[in-house]
Amino acid sequence: MNFLNSIATGIREIWSHKFRSILTMLGVILGVASLLSTFALTDGMAKGSREMMTTMGGVERVNIVPQEVPQDQVMLVDTSPGRTVADAEIIRRSATQVTHVTPVYEQPCTLTKGGVLFRSQLSGVWPDFVPINNHVIAHGRNISQIDLDEARRVCVIGTKVIEQLWPDTPKIKPLGETIIVNNRPFVVVGIFEHYESDDDKIAREYGRKPAAFTTRRNRYFNPYDRKNGTVIIPFDTAFYEFRSASMAGVVDQGPIYKVDGLTFKAADPANLQPAMDQVSSLLLQTHRGVEDFTLDTRQDWAESIEKNARNIKLSGGLIASISLIVGGIGITNIMLASITERIREIGIRRAVGARRKHIFLQIIVESTVIGLIGGILGLGAAFGMIELLEYISEGANPPVVELSSAVLSFLFALIIGMLSGVYPAWSASRITPIEALRYG
Amino acid sequence: MALIELSEVTKRYRVGQQEIDALRGINLTIEEGEYVSIIGPSGSGKSTLMHLLGCLDTPTSGSVKIDGADISNASDDELADMRNQKIGFVFQSFNLLSKLTVLENVELPMMYAGITSKVRKERAKAAIERVGLGDRINNTPLQLSGGQMQRVAVARSLVNNPRLIFADEPTGNLDSTTGANVLALFKELNQQGSTIILVTHDSEIAANTPRRIEIRDGLVVTPKKNS
Repeated sequence: MNFLNSIATGIREIWSHKFRSILTMLGVILGVASLLSTFALTDGMAKGSREMMTTMGGVERVNIVPQEVPQDQVMLVDTSPGRTVADAEIIRRSATQVTHVTPVYEQPCTLTKGGVLFRSQLSGVWPDFVPINNHVIAHGRNISQIDLDEARRVCVIGTKVIEQLWPDTPKIKPLGETIIVNNRPFVVVGIFEHYESDDDKIAREYGRKPAAFTTRRNRYFNPYDRKNGTVIIPFDTAFYEFRSASMAGVVDQGPIYKVDGLTFKAADPANLQPAMDQVSSLLLQTHRGVEDFTLDTRQDWAESIEKNARNIKLSGGLIASISLIVGGIGITNIMLASITERIREIGIRRAVGARRKHIFLQIIVESTVIGLIGGILGLGAAFGMIELLEYISEGANPPVVELSSAVLSFLFALIIGMLSGVYPAWSASRITPIEALRYG
Repeated sequence: MALIELSEVTKRYRVGQQEIDALRGINLTIEEGEYVSIIGPSGSGKSTLMHLLGCLDTPTSGSVKIDGADISNASDDELADMRNQKIGFVFQSFNLLSKLTVLENVELPMMYAGITSKVRKERAKAAIERVGLGDRINNTPLQLSGGQMQRVAVARSLVNNPRLIFADEPTGNLDSTTGANVLALFKELNQQGSTIILVTHDSEIAANTPRRIEIRDGLVVTPKKNS
């Protein structure tokens, strides 16, 4: 008996019990659907993270972030001032491998103009902030050294801020206008370029509304949207105007201020490591030897995105695959029952010369075909489920179906179908023809 | 050489704690081309003997030679191949697969013999025509009468050109007229050269065969020729 015959026999058997087969398959269908939608959900999250990273600059951007001090330095921790503006100063003066550096003061802000209100994030920075974060000034100018020295109340704003504060005049370029930032008047001296994804750009150029505003997806987190909401002011201004809100540390540190962020850009992405070594040794001086900081590169971030994506996908897949395994147990159950029902048929086949392996193969093929059809229908069900997920989930990244995930889910269903037939097939093949024929 | 040779064959069963000697030393020879009936009341060991001759089981001791092959220590797969190649079965309850058509039922032994689809169909059709059911090949067994079903079973038993055809109470579920027809079919097949063994408890039916072997309490009583 060749393999094709076995498959034909299996399909015929399934077809002759349509309703029962559908019920049996339902477990696999739902299992595949939940597995693939979990994959789609996690893939969507990973895609969102990657997109965000690319809009926020290249790998040559490095953040200096605080970390727990090593065990042997715990008693020294108070001798280090932490990340201060002096760190930025020493990097600017002494790190030859670094082209740009900026301290960052961050605070939520409320912007108002003529009774219109918009909430965003305020960044007090040095002019280097703009090249470090791949910002482009479309109109006006960047903040300057004189703005810093005199702590002028000037700001550079993104297109979304303009859109929100001047809702009635869409094409306004509000250079020289005064806006109120956290109750203090600031003059707009520069406007950033409008950042958008390639898809949206194409859509806009062809006169359509960008996809983000025509579909329900506009509720999802959009990294471009966030970048367009940027408001920057001179670092020193931020401190003179707002410092009481963020003075940190128990010791009065006089005019050397702690910063919320410290970012630099290496001269050459290929020489990132020497630049980082240089910065590390400089900072160890200002931190008095205490290793309470670490350099966080985009590379690390990129790796951690991939790692997290993989981990979430794996654990989500593991949980979702439980339902597929339950489906497999359902198949085993039904197959065992159907063997008791078909013991006579097995006896007849054995009497006319079927070997044990033929019976084994016949049952395995049957359960595999159930897995196969269930897998195919399950992929269909998954697409329905993903549509539903897109519709009901708010503020998340839209699910993305990757081919590899679909293939993986389908193969898993097939394997589950095959495995779930092993025990029934084995017990069917152990039935001796005499007892099977006596049964009738 | 004889087609079937049994020497000192015993078969012991365990039923719970009890051991039952179903066969207690059978010696038997059946030649090629014979038409034999095995007769005995229920519990005589007749069914056990049939299982051994039909390669459905192996003996506890003694040797069973069928067409020169000793099956006493044969593996399960070897027994299956013997049944497939050398033996055809006709059962009391027909034992056809009700989901398959007449043609597919007759094809079944050839499928396990690994014969290609085209040859299978030709040979199955020829066998069905031989038993006189050429117009019913696409019916399912449930659409046939008892006599027709038994003819399909006979066709199935013939289709691999076995050395031996085994009929276990073939007329048991049939009325006397159709039963007589089936017996006539066996007679005809025997005259065309097939070796046929008929297992029955009915001495009237056994009277149809030239030779009868009577089994009682696990032993052959008198191998005698019907006159």
